[in-house]
Amino acid sequence: MENIIEVKNLTKKYKNLKAVDDLSFEVKKGEILGLLGPNGSGKSTTINCLLSLLNYQNGSIKIFGEEMTPTSYEIKKQIGVIFQEIAVFEELTVYENIDYFCGLYISDKSLRKSYVMDAIKLVGIEDFINFYPKQLSGGLKRRLNIACGIAHKPKLIFLDEPTVAVDPQSRNNILDGIKKLRNDGATILYTTHYMEEVELICDRIIILDKGRIIASGTSDELKKLANIEEKITVEVTNMSSSILENIKKFKTVDSVTYDRNVLSIIYRKGKNNLEELMDYLKENKVSYNKIFSERPTLNDVFLELTGKGLRDAI
Amino acid sequence: MLYDFKYSLKVLLRNKGLLFWTFVFPIVLGTFFNMAFSNIENSERFNAFDIAIVNDENFNLTYKNIFDSLSDVNNEDRLFNVNYVSLEEAKNLLKENKVAGYLVFNDNIDIYVNKSGANETVLRFVVDEINSKKSIYESLSDESLDIDRIVSESEVKLKDISRSNLSYTMIEYYTLIAMAILYGSTISMFITNKKMPNMDSVGKRISVSPTRKSSSLLGSLFASYVVQLLGVAILFIYTIFVLNVDYGNNFFLVIVLSLVGVLAGLSLGVMIATLFKANEGNKMGILIAITMLFCFLSGMMGITMKYVIDKNIPILNIINPANMITDGFYSLYYYDTLDRYYFNLISLLVFSIIALLISFFSIRRQKYDSI
Repeated sequence: MENIIEVKNLTKKYKNLKAVDDLSFEVKKGEILGLLGPNGSGKSTTINCLLSLLNYQNGSIKIFGEEMTPTSYEIKKQIGVIFQEIAVFEELTVYENIDYFCGLYISDKSLRKSYVMDAIKLVGIEDFINFYPKQLSGGLKRRLNIACGIAHKPKLIFLDEPTVAVDPQSRNNILDGIKKLRNDGATILYTTHYMEEVELICDRIIILDKGRIIASGTSDELKKLANIEEKITVEVTNMSSSILENIKKFKTVDSVTYDRNVLSIIYRKGKNNLEELMDYLKENKVSYNKIFSERPTLNDVFLELTGKGLRDAI
Repeated sequence: MLYDFKYSLKVLLRNKGLLFWTFVFPIVLGTFFNMAFSNIENSERFNAFDIAIVNDENFNLTYKNIFDSLSDVNNEDRLFNVNYVSLEEAKNLLKENKVAGYLVFNDNIDIYVNKSGANETVLRFVVDEINSKKSIYESLSDESLDIDRIVSESEVKLKDISRSNLSYTMIEYYTLIAMAILYGSTISMFITNKKMPNMDSVGKRISVSPTRKSSSLLGSLFASYVVQLLGVAILFIYTIFVLNVDYGNNFFLVIVLSLVGVLAGLSLGVMIATLFKANEGNKMGILIAITMLFCFLSGMMGITMKYVIDKNIPILNIINPANMITDGFYSLYYYDTLDRYYFNLISLLVFSIIALLISFFSIRRQKYDSI
């Protein structure tokens, strides 16, 4: 499949700090590639380098097969960017903001009008077109921010943490909108530190830490790296230490923790782990309130690879 | 470019902070100026004062004609209220400070005063003038000339060296206009920051678009120019119709100077926005400080400063756009020729061109080390 973005050996330093360290990756046509990493892992810096906003010390960047420079106007025509910060004019209404930014790409007034309305519908802010940004909630502002970046129907979209600090309703709306954009033919590079989001919408994921790629692949491929098959959590009312020791001796169990009546068991592999555990607890007359099973998350992958969680990695 | 002009106009006209500094603040300041300086003007207006003349045999008709003319109540420019009295009465009046001085006529005119002051100086000037004219004619004339008649027909008056519509308070209004014009720099700085990815997230969005930054900036600067002109026009209207400031007969040239001055103000704002590496607040602080310094040096907080700079560091006022504007206005009224006005006008244009060139050269740097 055609590469829309090709990055080779990209290195960006801030004085002595390597914000991006020898980064190489491709984004294929029509896919959503997720750049996942904690704050400060180099996601936004990578995007800013790709967009030729930042100088970088080493590497090459090609977009649509052409080298990306500040004057690559033909490439820029096909790109849409949603920055982490909300980039709108406080003095313009919702409609005017979208129209202004769309107008930087589309000069035909009637075509622009239909594009602006499409963007407004896509992010679901039809009821607010005459509002000023300061009159909008945080979630609606984020939706406006997205509409401003994609109204001109770009073929390649950069989304830099578009869902930071938004309510669940707006988040779902935004994620649905991104999937729709992909379904309409756009290629998307999506950065976030929310692992649930990349699992939900990304075809491939690159995990970054300290400016370097530490893992990449599909969600399933990455989870295999965690070397975890299942995690079972049980809220027990009582349990003796001998029972705890016996559970640790189960063949497929990797580790067991017990804290404040919450028993957590991590299985490396195996099937029917939940059934086996429930039978054992019943035999030994251990009563419990809740029990649930989880598949490993990307946070577990990150934990496995770096020894720290995504949220506390800085 | 027109597209940027349209939206920049909307952005500027809806920004309450900018509207205050552009439209309201100069008017408020002008009102304060008017309140403060109108009293000063009134207090410094010349009023006729009392003198005494010893009406003896030496005080002849010739002298009487002169002093009648100088004390004519129908004459707005009269200098004296004359009391024709005896020598004793004159002495008493002076002793009681009811007159500024008294005059005794001999071959020449003798003047008696108690102190030195403005009125006494005027009296002495008039007497010296009469004495000197008389002596000149006496030395040049032959016997057939009637010296007394010639002297009496000579015009003795204090020459008003100022134009009727010019007062030094006007210079304060010129600096007010100059300040209002230079405040356009805050508008252009605001709009320029919006184009710079290291200053504003909107600037990032514009920078990644296929629109050229210089073209987008040009459209926005044009909008800034229109808004600033509007602000200056409102200030002119307010000062003329509400504060009754008289800008004289050269109003067209005043407008021309304002048009170029606004361009210079905008150029100053763009230059500082693109040259200084600082956040928006710090840049605005630098700009306001520079603008106020320019106005201070051009005489806004006291006209003496303008003269001090002109005398000691003239180059400072030559490169000071506030001074170019005030001096341009000032020269329209003070000088009969327009040379100095055109010099200031051209200086403003040169300043604008240099500032804009520096700005566009700076903003061409399209990649940043950090944003």
